[in-house]
Amino acid sequence: MLSKTQTAGLFLGIAGFILPLVVTFPGLSLAGHLAMSIFLLAAVFWMFETIPIYSTSILVILLEVLLLSAEGLVFSSEGFVSGDYSPTAYTAFLSTLANPIIILFLGGFVLADASVKYNFDKYLTRKLLTPFGSNPKFIILGLMVVTGLLSAFMSNTATTAMMITVVIPIIAKMQPGDPARISIALSIPFAANIGGMATPIGTPPNAVVIAALNQQGQAITFSEWMMYAFPLTLIMLIFSWILLLKLYPPKTDRIEIDMKGKLMSTVSARLLYVTFAVTVLLWVTESYHGIKSGIVALIPVAVLTLSNSFEKKDIRKLPWEVLWLIAGGISLGIALKDTGLANWMVSLVSWDQLASLALLATFGIVTLAMSNFLSNTVTASLLIPIAISMAVSGIFEGMFGMLMVGLVVALSASFAMVLPISTPPNAVAISTGVIETKHMALAGLVIGLVGVLLVIVFSFVYWPYIL
Amino acid sequence: MKKNIYILVVEDEPDVLDSIVRDIEEFESRFPIEMADTAEEAKEIIRDILDEGDQIGLILCDHVLPEQNGVDLLIEMQNDERTRSVKKVLITGQAGLEETVKAVNEADLEHYIAKPWKKKELVDIVRNQLTDFVIEQSVNPLQYMSVLDQERIAESIRHGGDITDV
Repeated sequence: MLSKTQTAGLFLGIAGFILPLVVTFPGLSLAGHLAMSIFLLAAVFWMFETIPIYSTSILVILLEVLLLSAEGLVFSSEGFVSGDYSPTAYTAFLSTLANPIIILFLGGFVLADASVKYNFDKYLTRKLLTPFGSNPKFIILGLMVVTGLLSAFMSNTATTAMMITVVIPIIAKMQPGDPARISIALSIPFAANIGGMATPIGTPPNAVVIAALNQQGQAITFSEWMMYAFPLTLIMLIFSWILLLKLYPPKTDRIEIDMKGKLMSTVSARLLYVTFAVTVLLWVTESYHGIKSGIVALIPVAVLTLSNSFEKKDIRKLPWEVLWLIAGGISLGIALKDTGLANWMVSLVSWDQLASLALLATFGIVTLAMSNFLSNTVTASLLIPIAISMAVSGIFEGMFGMLMVGLVVALSASFAMVLPISTPPNAVAISTGVIETKHMALAGLVIGLVGVLLVIVFSFVYWPYIL
Repeated sequence: MKKNIYILVVEDEPDVLDSIVRDIEEFESRFPIEMADTAEEAKEIIRDILDEGDQIGLILCDHVLPEQNGVDLLIEMQNDERTRSVKKVLITGQAGLEETVKAVNEADLEHYIAKPWKKKELVDIVRNQLTDFVIEQSVNPLQYMSVLDQERIAESIRHGGDITDV
């Protein structure tokens, strides 16, 4: 049964799909019209969640193969060559599922799930929290730093869930009226959202943007991404910490963290620790040794499965739908670019009047606004093809401009944390009942706006100088 | 559409029924409570709930009821595929050992509460059983989390991957 919103989405989506088939837009090729059908259908289904968002992604790939590929229904016959569109091979759409960035995520998933299996994430948390003592202010800082660090390598949601198990007993012991309950409960999802920006595997929007940049010949290594994004993460973690302390200052003067459990010492567990350390080390040093992160990502997959540390049932439990979701976003980008639709959309508006600064800021704000209501990955998938084609058509200057606008879209998408629906970590935190939406909205809005502002500042005073 | 998960309380003495429902009212915001005073009425309610496409998460059942007794009702539910997953708790002052053993063996009884009960004991049991139900049925646990065992729900999210980054 579909809800009212979903039903509205169903009809709107179908209407969107039909529109380019019956209306001819001047200057747009037949392939461009078909791509627009797919784009509108996907955009509406993603926004209204008529079907699960990963299903929309799968549908996108299917429709692209059928309607746009050289082997599909429309462009397979020899005589049907339309304008300057040379049909994309269907393998190009299908192979998005084995895109290096997808393999990178697969490696990250295996590492993260294996860490959960052997409680390595909890062990790290306990160790890393120790130096922060028992002063509530520093405990909150500690919680945020650890959450941010873990979510840079694990999923933001899994990290949040794990940290919630750590803070629930702490919160339960506090006085009911102590604002520290709120600052602690907010610190976890916020830090997880922010931490996800730090590395390419931190969160799916990063993947969509990196893949789109790669297709334009703009490769970004793991370590380069960290150089761009890690300082931002650090500054925003500290800013959010100060903000939460100002808004909800702790009354209690002591917090004890009592985490049980010690490091597992079975062979399988030890193998995980070593694999984890080696993989992460190879990732962050990519620019020194040049082994691509997508290749390194196969190390944990291979080592942990061949040693049976990671078993068949564990493989089945991986979040495969997230890979489909990312692949759908990547392949939508291919379609928009190859059919010329992205360029056509960009050409509708005369951008000359706007300075680069204003354009970047617009992209940042639009991304932030959209991803507060939509999935972060969906937001990035919808905006990045347009952003990149603006860069290609010279509105932003060259490779340099493309990278800037790519980073702006990816990072702004992760700064969405106003509402419980903005990100799964927010949803998990609000579901504890410790905090209310108004607490989240106020702090989340300030962090989002300051975050996007900082992204824009970075794109003028920091990124250009480290390229 | 969101499916409701019901708590069903079966007890023939109105005062006792009232006090059970009063004790567990903190769950009502997430788990609607239905009441029945006979096994027959309970079965009717169960049928209605299932027909609506909703679920029953937990039944708190007295043993001594007019006509069919509580243990037999629970066994009947256990033998029906659609109500097998329901968490079954017997609240009673009178069931003998034999009846109780029968309930454990044949109805997969989750818990036995002797009358009179303490409120905290009842609330803890209900929270635990509903948490089990929500985790086992892998329904989206978030909407129920605030009244359940949050640590265990969070732990299941950490392990289960039902909720992922999007």
